[in-house]
Amino acid sequence: MEDMMKSFKNNSMKWRYFKQTLFFGAVRLSALIIALALGGILFYIIVNGIGAISWDFITKPPTDSMTKGGIMPAILGTIYLTIGAIAIGLPLGIASAIYLTEYAKQGRVIRLIKVGINCLAGVPSVVFGLFGLGFFVIFLKFGSSILSGSLTLGFLILPTIIGAAEEALKAVPQTFREASLSLGVSKWQTIYRIVLPNALPGILTGSILGIGRAAGETAPIMFTAAAYFTAKLPGSIFDEVMALPYHIYVLATAGTNIEATRPIQYGTVLVLVAVVLSIDLIAIIIRSYMRKNKRW
Amino acid sequence: MDSDIIIKLNKVNFYYGQSRALTDITMNFRKNKVSALIGPSGCGKSTLLRLLNRMNDLIDGTRIEGEIFFEEKNIYAKDVDPVEIRRKVGMVFQKPNPFPKTIYNNIAYGPKLTSMNTDDLDTLVEQSLKQAVLWDEVKDILNKSAMNLSGGQQQRLCIARALAMKPDILLMDEPTSALDPISTAKIEELIEELKKNYTIIIVTHNMQQAARISDETAFFYLGNMVEYNKTEKIFTNPDVKHTEEYITGRFG
Repeated sequence: MEDMMKSFKNNSMKWRYFKQTLFFGAVRLSALIIALALGGILFYIIVNGIGAISWDFITKPPTDSMTKGGIMPAILGTIYLTIGAIAIGLPLGIASAIYLTEYAKQGRVIRLIKVGINCLAGVPSVVFGLFGLGFFVIFLKFGSSILSGSLTLGFLILPTIIGAAEEALKAVPQTFREASLSLGVSKWQTIYRIVLPNALPGILTGSILGIGRAAGETAPIMFTAAAYFTAKLPGSIFDEVMALPYHIYVLATAGTNIEATRPIQYGTVLVLVAVVLSIDLIAIIIRSYMRKNKRW
Repeated sequence: MDSDIIIKLNKVNFYYGQSRALTDITMNFRKNKVSALIGPSGCGKSTLLRLLNRMNDLIDGTRIEGEIFFEEKNIYAKDVDPVEIRRKVGMVFQKPNPFPKTIYNNIAYGPKLTSMNTDDLDTLVEQSLKQAVLWDEVKDILNKSAMNLSGGQQQRLCIARALAMKPDILLMDEPTSALDPISTAKIEELIEELKKNYTIIIVTHNMQQAARISDETAFFYLGNMVEYNKTEKIFTNPDVKHTEEYITGRFG
């Protein structure tokens, strides 16, 4: 009898141990699959694209109906559009988040606004593109331009930035606000001097996602900013530009000789990925620099 | 009004939403004295303290009835800016809460932003740190982060930060409850020293502390002020039986 108990106990231990191994294995596998997928995509792009990369490729405009030459105007266009989107989305998003978390009285209206922001996040990007076309390009007469594209992309990434900023602001300890206010410092000064500096690293972290998206989106700039082809570099924010995502789309679907441009397509994709990652990297460096002195 | 009275509460009721946290409080705080507010958790003593510098304004859905006079002026009158009140009524919190800035900038923060007369910020910082008996410990590390200080040092820094605003009153909300006995003793000595120049109102859970450092003590229970008297009287021969029971630890 005692033996039986013992073996039962041992078995139950073994069974539990087996279950644990099984579940650990399963979650480990999930993480691995994601890493492999990412690695696979990157590997595929690099292997196919690296051949097209050369100094001329990134510094010269396309030639021969875009079957030869470089993609410099598209790189520059994407950088302009991304910076424009950040310049519009970041201040607006941070300001909205400050209003929502610091000033607004929590209640039904605020809940409604927050639902609205979440809905905005779920709107397909082509809808943003059409909105940009109707409002910025046609109604405000900005034309197909860096300005229209930046505004459209800025609005596209707004929900991401608002969400990130809200979380970051909420993470600043309430005791900091109380300490500042108790000294007779006004609410705005408290936000500007204490809350915002401490929230900024968190805001940037979350915004990186939005920024990457702004650089990579095709549909929103298709109608608002992107040129099919222009060797001329933009002289002002009211000029059209080429952009990497749209250039890829054009080469892959509407080019004069799709098969012949395959290497250029992969090269362009590789450059786009590199541009997005560099923008992310810059944000990460700024963030870690700001974090240095902010420990609590 | 008695000239040594600095704060006067007149029939104050206070509500968080529907629930009443303070009932019909009428009391005076005297200038350059240490007044202690004692009572079990949830009795309203911290709420009362935070009424005196309008910190409760920060909480949505609160409501006050009655009047609180600070130097003869009702601080809840419509034309009063709470920011102005807070410059004159400083506060030290339960948990030390220095800003993640340098020691120097923690002290200079308030005076700089409130456009106080700051011809000589360095002197003001030194003076405030000396008043809080922290100067000798930090004079060589003024540009280091305040987060590296010990808990007791941080709390004295917070006191120095409040003093730099040259307030008339210093509110302290259980300032030693997060500190060890040695740090606590230092703060208590400091309070003794500060009352020469400031009016101090302190909330404490530590009965001995109230007995040691305060001139007057008010006992609160369930939002009512049960008894308010000279500290010596409260702790030796209270008028109300309830007070005696609390002080001797029979409930609470």
